[in-house]
Amino acid sequence: MAQEYTEYLAINVLNEQQLVSYRSLSRALKVHSNLAKQMLYEFHRKQNAKRPGSVHATYLITGTRRPESPSQTNGAHSQEDGGDTVMQSSPPLPGSSAPQHEEDAEEPVSVRSVLLVKEEHLEQAKATFESITGIHIYSLQANGLSDVQSLTECNRKITASYASEDPLQAWKQYGTIQNPNVKRRTQRRGPPPPAPVAKAAEPKTKPLAPTTKPTVLERQASKESKASQESKPASKPTSKPSSAKATPEPAKKPATVKRQDSDIFKSFAKGRAKPKKQDSQSSAEATTPAAAEPEDEPMGGFSDEDDDAEDGAADIDEVPQEPEGKSKKEREADLQAMMDQEDEIMEDAAEAIPDKTAAEEDEGAIDRPVSRQAEEPAKETVTVENGRRRGRRRVMKKKTVKDEDGYLVTKEEAAWESFSEDEPAPKKLKTAPATSTNKPTAAGKKGAAKAGQGNIMSFFSKK
Amino acid sequence: MSTEATTLRVIIAAFTDFLTVAIHTILYERAIYPPTSFLSARKYNLSVRQNRHPKVCEWINDAVSAVETELLKGVVGRVAIVIYTKDNHPVERFMLDVSRFPTVALADLDTPLERTAANGDRLPILPRIDMEEQFRATLSRLASCSSTLKPLPEGCVFNIAVELKQDGQPPLNHPQPWMPVQSAKGDAVGGQLQKKAVPVRSIAAGELLLECWIEEADGAS
Repeated sequence: MAQEYTEYLAINVLNEQQLVSYRSLSRALKVHSNLAKQMLYEFHRKQNAKRPGSVHATYLITGTRRPESPSQTNGAHSQEDGGDTVMQSSPPLPGSSAPQHEEDAEEPVSVRSVLLVKEEHLEQAKATFESITGIHIYSLQANGLSDVQSLTECNRKITASYASEDPLQAWKQYGTIQNPNVKRRTQRRGPPPPAPVAKAAEPKTKPLAPTTKPTVLERQASKESKASQESKPASKPTSKPSSAKATPEPAKKPATVKRQDSDIFKSFAKGRAKPKKQDSQSSAEATTPAAAEPEDEPMGGFSDEDDDAEDGAADIDEVPQEPEGKSKKEREADLQAMMDQEDEIMEDAAEAIPDKTAAEEDEGAIDRPVSRQAEEPAKETVTVENGRRRGRRRVMKKKTVKDEDGYLVTKEEAAWESFSEDEPAPKKLKTAPATSTNKPTAAGKKGAAKAGQGNIMSFFSKK
Repeated sequence: MSTEATTLRVIIAAFTDFLTVAIHTILYERAIYPPTSFLSARKYNLSVRQNRHPKVCEWINDAVSAVETELLKGVVGRVAIVIYTKDNHPVERFMLDVSRFPTVALADLDTPLERTAANGDRLPILPRIDMEEQFRATLSRLASCSSTLKPLPEGCVFNIAVELKQDGQPPLNHPQPWMPVQSAKGDAVGGQLQKKAVPVRSIAAGELLLECWIEEADGAS
């Protein structure tokens, strides 16, 4: 041990003429910082005994300074050069309290200072201290230190070379000051899931896109996912269903068109993914994988959320995706029903129970995207349609839960809610989804335009 | 900057940045100007000193761009930062050997350079991280050089000199930034003084090959 440090210091300080601070010595030899300080002292003493002036030291003095000599301090690292100008403009740095003149005039405030001094100024600096609580060697160098700033290089090298060490384990060895209440975050992903979701969506879209065979679909998917990313955080589900549906379906020109329609329609609503999903589902119902995909994904969504970022984000995606998928499905069905028979929507609604339920769910879905965005829109739609429709619907409610780490995590949960409404007139049905979508979406204009477009586009989609 | 292809111009630009910082560092270390006229700056992730006086900065920038012009012509052998006493006797020279820069035709200044190793791998022309690290090391060495060198007499001044390669044409166009100095035998600016050379560092980052050393004139008082 004794040989090691002498050798190390001889090589670094004398031969290579580098600056060695006690911290770099402790990291290099894996010893406690205090031991490193003692090593520096020993080496300094021995070398200077052999050849005076071969090794220079910089000292760190901690103590209480005499209040009557404030002019000598320039801040934490004062050089104490003879004739050094007093830079009063430099603000007192934390950790070293440079006494201000005003303070001294009022009352003798004892100030604790931490001072870096070159060895030639050591005695002078010591004289300025009233009482010294600690003094040790900070660094050694072969020749005098010209610029104190060069000491910063030592610390930078430490952080660069020893970045791989876990400070929570290494602190005992090195003697770094440690807060016992500190602990690592368990969850890698931060509180806002949409942000990493959106980000994860984009890289996912890109790797997934090349794998899909139809380039048209890919471009659609990536384009829409990119657009949706800007608008809503549900872009991730977009990429997934789009890629999912793209892969099993090799040739989907009509599907593309259909997707375009609903995509444009839904682009201003929440969750672009849904329209895509809807399209794939509606257009190619024969494709079981496509149908199975959304089922699988929602199922997977309820899995454990303790995975790392990607999985967690995926899970979060799944959860909203599943209800959204239903909503999209319902919306699609409902819209189609609306478009198809404008006058007979009531009958249709009354006749077909699945249609009715689909319609209800669709309304709920329509309301759901609304509610998904915020609870207020959901309430707004409720109040608007209050007393006009009946049935049960699924509403997304947000719950803010305090996590184990103390983070507030907002989760969306689907809750069944029963509401009563009159049998809706077709116009009301049309307008209600239009208005409901209007409210949740920030762009009211877009909503109106979208509703109009939806109506128009439905004509084309009929064919 | 990392997105564009590495041309000779890019290499020279990196070198001139380094040269500017080196000049400021030398001015601080040798106390050509009072230390209070320097502020702390950060370059290559290292804390360096930079002069605050606008005229000084302007002069240094002009000098460095004149050096750059010569470098682009490919005629420069060495760049020297010379410290003179009040009587115009050179006391010290900080030398930067740039003769090993890649030489390209004038038309190819903006052509991306490429280098392949013996086994066919593409080698980087200018690895930024390596370059920064080596610049950092050189500047640290320069910063601590003043403790090894003899203290300078009062009132020293500095200047920048450029030594051309053997076949280089001296720059004698109309707005003449350079003054031709007759070189004595054996060395350029410095006359017949006995010299002591202190190596600082050699930098090898891709195609940027540089050597730096300090020459001290023993005979000067």
